[in-house]
Amino acid sequence: MTFLSRLRFRTKINLGLTLIVGFTALIIALFVTSMASEALMEQSRKRGKVLASNLALRAEDPLLSTDLLQLESMVNEVKKADDEIVYAFIMDDQKRVLANSFRDGFPIQLRNANTSTDQNTIAAVMIDTGTEKIYDFAAPIFISNKKLGTVRIGLSRAGIQSVVQDLIFAISALTGAVLLVAVLVSTQFARRMTFRLGTLQRHAEEIVHTHLGPQKRDTSNSDDTIKSFFSPHRKRLKGDEVQELAETFDAMAMNLESHIEDLEITETNLTRQKELLKTIINVSPDFISLIGPALTYMAVNKPLATHIGKTEEEIVGMTDKELFPQRNLSIKNQEVRQVLNTGEIVNKETREMIDENSAIRWFHTIRVPVYSESDRIIGVLSTARDITELKSYQAQLIQSQKMESVGKLAGGVAHEINTPLGIILGYSQLLQDDVAPEDQISKDLKTIEKQAHVCRKIVSDLLGFSRQTESEKKEMCFNNSILEVVQLVSHAFKLEQIEISTVLDDRFPIIHGDPEKLKQVWLNLLSNAMEAVDEHGAIQITTILDISTMTITALFADTGHGVDQQKLGTIFDPFYSTKPVGKGTGLGLSVSFGIIKDHGGTIEAISPIPKDTLARMNRADTSGPGTLFKVVLPLDAISADEQVVNTGSA
Amino acid sequence: MLKLKYIIPAVLLLLGAAFYFRGLGLDENIVKVDMSVREEINVPDPEPAITYAYLPQYSHKVSYQRHNRLIEYLARETGLTIRQVFPDTFEEHRRMVENGDIDISFSNPMTYIKIAGTGAKAFARIIEPSGSPTFRGQIIARKDNRIIRKVKDCIGKSWIAVDPLSAGGYLFVLGMFLEKGITSDDFKEIAFAAGPGGKQEKAVLAVYAGKYDFASIREGTLDIVKDKVNISKLRVVAETKPYPSWVYAARKDLDPKIIELISNAMFNLSMNKQDQSEILKQAGMRGIISAKDSDYDSIRVLIEKLGLSSPPNNTGGLVK
Repeated sequence: MTFLSRLRFRTKINLGLTLIVGFTALIIALFVTSMASEALMEQSRKRGKVLASNLALRAEDPLLSTDLLQLESMVNEVKKADDEIVYAFIMDDQKRVLANSFRDGFPIQLRNANTSTDQNTIAAVMIDTGTEKIYDFAAPIFISNKKLGTVRIGLSRAGIQSVVQDLIFAISALTGAVLLVAVLVSTQFARRMTFRLGTLQRHAEEIVHTHLGPQKRDTSNSDDTIKSFFSPHRKRLKGDEVQELAETFDAMAMNLESHIEDLEITETNLTRQKELLKTIINVSPDFISLIGPALTYMAVNKPLATHIGKTEEEIVGMTDKELFPQRNLSIKNQEVRQVLNTGEIVNKETREMIDENSAIRWFHTIRVPVYSESDRIIGVLSTARDITELKSYQAQLIQSQKMESVGKLAGGVAHEINTPLGIILGYSQLLQDDVAPEDQISKDLKTIEKQAHVCRKIVSDLLGFSRQTESEKKEMCFNNSILEVVQLVSHAFKLEQIEISTVLDDRFPIIHGDPEKLKQVWLNLLSNAMEAVDEHGAIQITTILDISTMTITALFADTGHGVDQQKLGTIFDPFYSTKPVGKGTGLGLSVSFGIIKDHGGTIEAISPIPKDTLARMNRADTSGPGTLFKVVLPLDAISADEQVVNTGSA
Repeated sequence: MLKLKYIIPAVLLLLGAAFYFRGLGLDENIVKVDMSVREEINVPDPEPAITYAYLPQYSHKVSYQRHNRLIEYLARETGLTIRQVFPDTFEEHRRMVENGDIDISFSNPMTYIKIAGTGAKAFARIIEPSGSPTFRGQIIARKDNRIIRKVKDCIGKSWIAVDPLSAGGYLFVLGMFLEKGITSDDFKEIAFAAGPGGKQEKAVLAVYAGKYDFASIREGTLDIVKDKVNISKLRVVAETKPYPSWVYAARKDLDPKIIELISNAMFNLSMNKQDQSEILKQAGMRGIISAKDSDYDSIRVLIEKLGLSSPPNNTGGLVK
């Protein structure tokens, strides 16, 4: 078979046609020869039977009259009539030979070689004499159911065979001639065919080498192009399937060219869209990823890759297990599987901590299924947005609203309590006039008066917290208001051996605020700090002007006992206090919070204080942990401009 | 998938095998014969037997068919070896009787008269299928032929006769015409039925077809041809007087004991016995009865009247 496949196409056609014709001719020759031979043989047998029965019929009368001469002449006549007849003889009922055509005695064995006993049957046998084969026919002579004798005739098989041989020779010669003609015709046909195929092949090579044909790009009209393009081939391949094939081939090439152009345009579009999409995805601060059915990453955007610490290419093909720590891994996988299986969208906020020491971060995660054209889920698109900051603002907002509610409540109560307190105070003072100063009653009244003043102070603070009191805002020097308070408390701090230092921004920031109220805030913070630090503690006040954000920040750092991490969120709540009962009201920080908020600023507490701040205070690491209060106030717009100008000129 | 290199040899092999076995079929029943072993053939001498001959009125085959069973019966009954012989002509028959080659001769009355002249002697005669030991000649014409009503109407007409040698089919009728003074010259034409065998039927058919005006036939022929022609359209114009039927004669000097044995066996044949009636029917007779030479004197008278010095020869020519 490999040998066959290596042959040339022309040789294959020749070989195939020769085989088909030869095989057909052989089969026909074999069967025709066989059938003709059989027919000839059959004809010969019939002829032998007819000859024998005729002779038997004619021999009846001479046999009855025992006319041996006539019988002798009859057998000789029969023998002479045909060359194929080898012998003829007539026997009587006792198998005595009455007449025969043999010249040199009668062959003894021939007498019993063939016998016929049936009246209507002529027996035929093949006699082999050693030199030739003879068909022997025995025709019985019956009259009135009595057998009178038998006529025997021998026909030479060689004569019949020679006719058959002639027939075989004629058919063989004819077959050979047909085969020869078939080979000649097939050779011519194959030559023509391969010539055309060769032309087609050369044309195909042209197409391959010149990228879809030599003349194709010269014209824009497609019909004209086809006509001009195929004209040389039309001349050579005229009007058959090969030409049609060539034309189809060229039309296919043109179609292909058109499709390739379309594909190139589409590819460019797709590339552009892909880049665009990639840019959009990468620009998004969210962590975007596409996870496939095998829970492996199919794509991630740059922020996520940066977050994980690998390149996008490295991440593709990896699983969550290989990328993230064990914590929360099973929940993630479960969510992805749920989306893949049910198509339900996962939309949730999660709280994540990478390790024990890192800060808690909040993420808003959305997982949506990605469908194929056949509406089958082929992946999960996940976006995770860092909402830690949002969460922080959310907490602050809640805190502010809570404070506002409490303030309103406290303000309302304070208003109601102020009037009866005034009456209690008034009456206690009036009653003192009625009794001697040394009298125990006068002393008790003084105690009542004093405690009523304390109550009025508390009510005043409550009103201040709820901003029920009017504040008068004006342009003021921020640093001065701090320095005034430091000066006020410096003596008391000295007594307590507490070091107080200031690092103030020398650009004298001007803000629009109420100096008294702000002083109250600073006093409050310093008072808290003093209570927090032990002896030989230190307090440092720093002011920082930030022109870019138009804010002024005041930092109150102390080396005190600090605040628990969990309590940092609640220290600004009203009535919250770490002091024992009677020592503080728990309103100081909440009032300060209200004042700063009234000025459009923020206040927050950080504990322990950052190490760099501690270092600036020339304090060992062992002291502390300390607390840092950070107050940020907006600058007055006009004064800020002036400040910039002044600063610039300085 | 079958491979070409296996298919082609397989197909060729099958074809070759088919062709080989087909060729073998021609050579069935082969008998080996050594043609070199030969012998000289001597003509076998006939066994000594009583020879029986039937006047060659028909072919040898018909003669054999009609008398074979009768001869077998006679051989069986008499214990003699009887062999039928077949002379080719009437004349040969007569000569063989004369020469003693035929022991028992079965012939018509005309031939008997001739062989009787050489010493042969009648000993039996047959009963015709009609039941009579005699038979007659008849003149027939078409029923619609209004001219031929009686014998004399035949004058000037065309006549188809069976055979110049035929007794009933010609000579008996010719004798009847002579008695009435009509000679053969008085007819427009006298024709004889052509060809061998079946001449009686041919004569009837010739008249039936209208080719001849009248025909002379042997009595009983119309019964034989009734399946071939519509005999109601034919009319028997006249009949001759009866003459004695066919006769068995023994050659001169045949042992009278043998004649007696044979004649007794013949006389014992009866139509009442199944097997014997078959024999008689095949031989065209109803029985065999005793006969003597004088029974045939009427024939001798007829011969005399016809002016035949001797019975007619087999060429059909009449000697007036």
